[in-house]
Amino acid sequence: MNHINTVTLAIVLISFLIVTLIGFASARWRPAEDLMQLNEWGLAGRGFGTFVSWFLLGGDIYTAYTFIAVPALVYATGAAGFYALAYTIMVFPIVFIFAPRLWSVARARGYVTPGEFVRGRHGSQGLGLAVAATGILATMPYIALQLVGIESVLTVMGIGSTTGNAFVKDLPLIIAFGVVAAYTYLAGLRAPALIAFVKDILIYLTVIVAIVYIPGRLGGWGHIFSAASTHLKTANAATGKPYGSIVVLPAGEWAYATLALGSALALFVYPHATTGVFAAKRRDVIRRNAAMLPAYSLVLGLIALFGYMARAVPAVNADVKANGGNAQLSVPALFAHIFPSWFAGIADSAIVIGALVPAAIMSIAGANLFTRTIYKELFRPYATPAEETRVARVASLLMKVGALGFALELNKTFSINLQLLGGIWILQTFPAIVIGLYTRWFHRIALIIGWAVGMAYGTFQAYRTPGGGQAHFGASTAPVFGHITYIAIAALILNLVVSAVLTVVFRHIGLQDGYDETRPADYLADPVTAPGPVTAPRPVATPSAP
Amino acid sequence: MAQPAPAGKSPATWGAVVVLLAVAIIGTLWVPIYARSMPTLGPFPFFYWYQLIWVPMTAVLLWICYLLLRTKRT
Repeated sequence: MNHINTVTLAIVLISFLIVTLIGFASARWRPAEDLMQLNEWGLAGRGFGTFVSWFLLGGDIYTAYTFIAVPALVYATGAAGFYALAYTIMVFPIVFIFAPRLWSVARARGYVTPGEFVRGRHGSQGLGLAVAATGILATMPYIALQLVGIESVLTVMGIGSTTGNAFVKDLPLIIAFGVVAAYTYLAGLRAPALIAFVKDILIYLTVIVAIVYIPGRLGGWGHIFSAASTHLKTANAATGKPYGSIVVLPAGEWAYATLALGSALALFVYPHATTGVFAAKRRDVIRRNAAMLPAYSLVLGLIALFGYMARAVPAVNADVKANGGNAQLSVPALFAHIFPSWFAGIADSAIVIGALVPAAIMSIAGANLFTRTIYKELFRPYATPAEETRVARVASLLMKVGALGFALELNKTFSINLQLLGGIWILQTFPAIVIGLYTRWFHRIALIIGWAVGMAYGTFQAYRTPGGGQAHFGASTAPVFGHITYIAIAALILNLVVSAVLTVVFRHIGLQDGYDETRPADYLADPVTAPGPVTAPRPVATPSAP
Repeated sequence: MAQPAPAGKSPATWGAVVVLLAVAIIGTLWVPIYARSMPTLGPFPFFYWYQLIWVPMTAVLLWICYLLLRTKRT
């Protein structure tokens, strides 16, 4: 694994070069009248129709999580890793219900981030700040997961693994990330939106070829499943229990369901997903996309099965073992051993670009949150749009630096845990954002305390969960009332209970409510024209359809 | 999701949409339905092909919901 395949490397480098050129050129795509508006840099002018949104949201949601982390989990533990497919199935009915309302109110009021919506809806600066800070915190480990994905590909390609020097080892990764940071800084959301087209062509090509070609090479699906089954039944030397199972066992059903549901509820309160939603041109675009995005879930399900394919190739198992049992190498190693060098290059490019696109969108989303809900709210209420955009550009760089910190600090053996940890945090903003779209029954202070309790409980539970060879933050499920449960769901229930009880108490003692700057019609608005620069509260939008 | 019917859609339409969406969610949320290996579809255990089939089914259910709720732009 330490020899570099020049053909594979050349193809990955060429793809990276092409994507970089597209990234820089994208600043001229759908040219903005004034790129120094946060609406333009951070939401690409809110002008994407169904077609572009499909690629953008697909590029946003299906990341190194899909291509590296999920198959790694399937490779190592079997059926338990398949919860990701259930998650990406149930996420779209959830999005279908609430995302159009969030889009409408953001459009009508000129909100760029969910933090601004929460501040405006509940009349609470503190709650807006809590949502923004949570969004930034939860996004960093998710970006870190993308870095781990790229690193896995580079390791299998033999780059950076021959030296003991940590800086030299990570240099290719840091250079690649620096280039992405540069064009994101320049072009904003236009860059990942345009690159998403290239990403998807490569991904669909790779998956179709892999599904048609690999089973034949490995003696058919029957052999793949039986090889996986044989491994999963073997006892793990460390624990004495089997590695996993080919079908979820009754004891694992509750964890499977809560991991899927928790991830699905969390996805569209993540800042990068709301950024993708807000960039849509019309309300309609979101529902159409909810019905069309499951095409990617099918891809996710098939990629998850790559984990079993990898298990059926002895050379892949040897490679994984030689690298300290790092299951995340299984998919890149599968490509290296099964495909001819040139196609392995294309498949590796798909993974790398598939990680760069969401990393860019996530850093933009975090930057928008920082600028609108923290910087402008706390320090510079009268910041001009140009100043906002300058601040957001710098913040997008800082997001990437923070993500590097997560990538270096936390255990990388199961990077899926980075996403699940982010999910625990981000789900605590669900009551303020999603329930807030429907009702102001909850008191703003009760929501803040509920959020704080959920965050504290979730972080504490994750902290004391060992796994993957480390004592803390090792896994994201823990026993709750005798069932292994995704911590995010337990924390959310606690959050809701605290918020509800305190709401009743606060109403009883007559604690003052916040001012709601939104109007009922805002939630159904579907304005035809793009909003102009927003510096003052915008007039109430005209409701569209009768 | 007890929503008043926006954009002039009848409660019956909203009811139908909520039922379809609930079906789409429960189909994979209720794990005991599909945590089994029989019946297999070719070499695929039930657990796998059941979930893979839910993907296009969810897409169809959502498309029906989209058509039910579609309104003309003014």
